[in-house]
Amino acid sequence: MASSGDSRYLEVKAGVKREEPIVVDIDASAGEAKDTGVLVREGAEATVVVAVHGAGAEDTTSASLVRIIAERGAKVSLVEIVAAGSDARHLEGVGIDAAENAVVECRQYALGGAKVAVGFATNLAGTSARLNLDMRYLVDEGATLDVNHVCRQRGRVTRSQITTSGILKEHAKKTMRETIDLIHGAKGAVGNEIETVLIAGDHVVNKTLPVILCDEDDVQGNHGASIGSVSPEQLAYLADRGISGEEATALFARAIFDDAVIHAPEASSRAAALSRAEEFLGAEMARDVAEGLGLTESEESAR
Amino acid sequence: MSETTERKRSEVADVDRSLYDFVMSEEGYERYADGLTPDIVRAISEKKDEPAWMLEMRLKALDVFHEMRMADNWGPDTSGLDMDHISTYVSPKTKQARDWDDVPEDIKTTFERLGIPEAERESLAGVGAQYDSEIVYHNMREEVAEQGVIYTTIEDALHDPQWEPVVHQYFGKLIPMRDHKFAALHYAVWSGGSFVYVPEGVTLSYPLQSYFRLNASGAGQFEHTLIIVEPGADLHFIEGCSAPKYYEANLHAGAVELYVKDHARLRYSTIENWSKNMYNLNTKRATVGADSRMEWVSGSFGSHVSYLYPTTILQGARSTCEFTGITFAGATQDLDTGCKVILNGADTTASVDTKSISKDGGVNTFRSSVVIGAKAERARATVSCSSLMLDDISRSDTIPAMDVRCGSASVGHEATIGRISDDTILYLMSRGCSEAEARTMVVNGFANPVSKELPLEYAVISRRRRFRTSTCRPRRPGTTCASTRFPSRSRRPSPKARSSRACRASSTRSRPASAPKPPHGSWPRRVTPATSRSRPA
Repeated sequence: MASSGDSRYLEVKAGVKREEPIVVDIDASAGEAKDTGVLVREGAEATVVVAVHGAGAEDTTSASLVRIIAERGAKVSLVEIVAAGSDARHLEGVGIDAAENAVVECRQYALGGAKVAVGFATNLAGTSARLNLDMRYLVDEGATLDVNHVCRQRGRVTRSQITTSGILKEHAKKTMRETIDLIHGAKGAVGNEIETVLIAGDHVVNKTLPVILCDEDDVQGNHGASIGSVSPEQLAYLADRGISGEEATALFARAIFDDAVIHAPEASSRAAALSRAEEFLGAEMARDVAEGLGLTESEESAR
Repeated sequence: MSETTERKRSEVADVDRSLYDFVMSEEGYERYADGLTPDIVRAISEKKDEPAWMLEMRLKALDVFHEMRMADNWGPDTSGLDMDHISTYVSPKTKQARDWDDVPEDIKTTFERLGIPEAERESLAGVGAQYDSEIVYHNMREEVAEQGVIYTTIEDALHDPQWEPVVHQYFGKLIPMRDHKFAALHYAVWSGGSFVYVPEGVTLSYPLQSYFRLNASGAGQFEHTLIIVEPGADLHFIEGCSAPKYYEANLHAGAVELYVKDHARLRYSTIENWSKNMYNLNTKRATVGADSRMEWVSGSFGSHVSYLYPTTILQGARSTCEFTGITFAGATQDLDTGCKVILNGADTTASVDTKSISKDGGVNTFRSSVVIGAKAERARATVSCSSLMLDDISRSDTIPAMDVRCGSASVGHEATIGRISDDTILYLMSRGCSEAEARTMVVNGFANPVSKELPLEYAVISRRRRFRTSTCRPRRPGTTCASTRFPSRSRRPSPKARSSRACRASSTRSRPASAPKPPHGSWPRRVTPATSRSRPA
């Protein structure tokens, strides 16, 4: 498990736009655990990538903790791709503090792992601080995903937009807690949560708990959720076009992998997504994903 | 306008509590000692001359109550509730009457002020009135009784050889005493409430209503309502409750068990207007058979603390639940309300629609749970909750949980919290409304989709409930808010007008123009002979 040697701290100086992503590479099959702290100074820009990979591991537990402080006017892009093997466990934790006018763009992909827990807490402390969080997940047969998103909006005119969508396969278990906490004094704040769940199999357990806490009147909090399977009418429509229910579900799954690969900003995260795609969709479709996105042969071979 | 500039707020008039805040003397009342002991439980049971199984159940429940702990980190604070200072049984020295004239004067005056006899005359098939721990009045229309409908107290049903086995079969089965600590308390000291049995295929054209009044200070009310709606039957049951305000805690821990059989329908409406020293820890549950329908309509306006989550178990295929609720939390109120629906049958559907308004530091928590079981094929559920914040010292939380375990089921949910949008006000003002009128329209429009479902035509208690708004600048330290009330279309009549109306209502038995037309063109007779029903003007 993690030791002091697995921890690191990085600072992006004021006004600097850091081109090279800060990569947290976790080999789940080796049970790696890493602790990363990133301080993005005033007006600076940085991209942080967490790539969890490692197929074929048995009974391993990996972990990643990322803490980010975004100072005034800073811009942080965070991409997390959790693509652990089908028998691995992974614990993912993110904490972000955003000051005035700071912008946090986050994309989370939970693509694999027997048991995956994702914790994400943001503190929009400064006026006009923003969070856009997009999460896509794919919970495989018999796997468990536990997600806890918390956004505390303390600053005035802060904005949060949390969008999650995913697929649950047979015997999958998923718990999604999403909390928007509109704290007293956050006048003009707006928080939105949206979740879409596709149930693609029987014996699933889908628990959704979207919470809006409101201690201020001049705010808006909204939540919407849609949970269900492909309807018989939709299946009939697809069947008319020669697509079976299984193929339709595979298309939805492929769309998640496409999205992950498109937004993976560097090689290790792309490789993690493609490797998991190959495990889940098969080699042919994974290659199709890579070719469709115009990935070079060298990148594929790196995988 | 800058995004951070503070804007005007809507002021909604608080509930006019003058209707409920009157106290009658407890002189001559039978009042058991405060606290909970086996002797008190035995005394209650002995007074009611209950079967042995009921006493056994009470004593077991008392043990469970002492054994169970309060849930940690759940809901509003109940530390102000000390059971050692609550009397669990207070009874006026009167027997249950079937004629208002036989009810003691002070109690009759109470219910007349609340409009119960008037509502009974105009729109109800039967009325039960509970005062503190005992039912003091119970009556039902003759033709309803002739259809085989039973509407009585649990105590009376227990003394009837025909109904005692039925009560034994159903009582405490839907809400087990281990459900939570206050369910156990309820079973230990329950008193009063209603037993309703609607035979197969019977439809009641008018609702039945039970009204619960807690007059005693530092006391609890623990009524039990047991309703059985047999296959193909249809019932609308209304429950109302109120109490005067005291400066010590009162407790309401009732229980409602509803059995809706196949192809049946039950609409259960509640208007709760307890005083602001009341801990309202009530438990309600319904089980619904195949092709049946359960409708809840809930208006929560009173109490200091409320834990109220009516639960529906859709056991039969194609059964339906509809929950409509509105909660208004003002100063000193912390109301944790919502509902729970468990969909077990195939093709079951549930719809939850709630509104809440918070003002003057009031705290609203909407809590719902939709559970779709593994065998609930093609089950559908929708949950919608909207909250309106009227000032920045209030609070509103929504905590909707969804647990789906069936692949073919679907759930939709939406929740919104916010204040009145400036754009909406601007739009209405551009159409000629004043700002105050615009805000009044918005608040009424917000509440009306739900509040129109409340049984307003049946009880004065709810007719007095209207939202009136005005605008004022945000309060600053050292200043007062000079709020001006703007009458809405539903303005409450003046005391003089009300008095005049009351005189008319009590001096004639003709049907008022606003009342629904009775079936077969005439008002049915009641069980009580008309000659003994004269009422003072």
